Amino acid sequence: MQYAPQLYTAAMRMARNPTDAEDLVQETFLKAYRAYDSFTAGTNLKAWLYRILTNTYINKYRKDRRRPIESELGDLEDLYLYKRIGSEETTDSSRSAEDRVLDGLVESDIKEAVEALPENFRVPVLLADLEGFAYKEIAEILDIPIGTVMSRLHRGRKALQASLAEYARDRGLLPDPESEDE
Amino acid sequence: MSDHCRDALDRLYAYLDRELDTDTVTEVRAHLEECPPCGGAFAFEERLMVVVRDGLREEVPQAVVDRLRSALRSEIL
Repeated sequence: MQYAPQLYTAAMRMARNPTDAEDLVQETFLKAYRAYDSFTAGTNLKAWLYRILTNTYINKYRKDRRRPIESELGDLEDLYLYKRIGSEETTDSSRSAEDRVLDGLVESDIKEAVEALPENFRVPVLLADLEGFAYKEIAEILDIPIGTVMSRLHRGRKALQASLAEYARDRGLLPDPESEDE
Repeated sequence: MSDHCRDALDRLYAYLDRELDTDTVTEVRAHLEECPPCGGAFAFEERLMVVVRDGLREEVPQAVVDRLRSALRSEIL
């Protein structure tokens, strides 16, 4: 049961509840066991398992919640969160303002923000940010072109930052948005 | 923002994800060293990635591990 902890973490963020996450991981291991003949020894076992996990998740949950592709995330600026900190002039040192945001965001903020991403952005973000898969591996796991991986990662991360900025504002770590419009 | 800054920013994620070839990495690093605003932004993004990764971790409950084991065992037997 190598990779069980990693797969469980990814499954939790995909399925968004412990029961479905456990089902996903169990199904993944059973499918992997049954299909082991089709796995080429010496190739990437971890990526293979994630491919099974991801496909299982998509087949299982996409049916009841069809999501439009791409259009759901509007245009967001680069460095979204960083720029919100940069516009803050009330603190004497920008370094401490950065620390305050990075240290002040709690685990549940990050989990919720990632879980709120539309699926087609969330999964690439999880594979990259959580597991550190290379773009090429993500492309193979999701069966999409590498350029699509890059654009989804880019946009997904920007949307994630916008969402984290909301959490940071709610926690008083960032100034109110109104005071930014000068 | 100069063209150099724009170029660096376009490569932000590829740089942090270690997807750039060594020459390009050297180029980006050179810019980050001479441009404090970009250097600061990249450093922040790098730290944020770590915060996100750590925040996403999940402990697998022992009960889940046990159930997974027995599901696999009954498949194998």
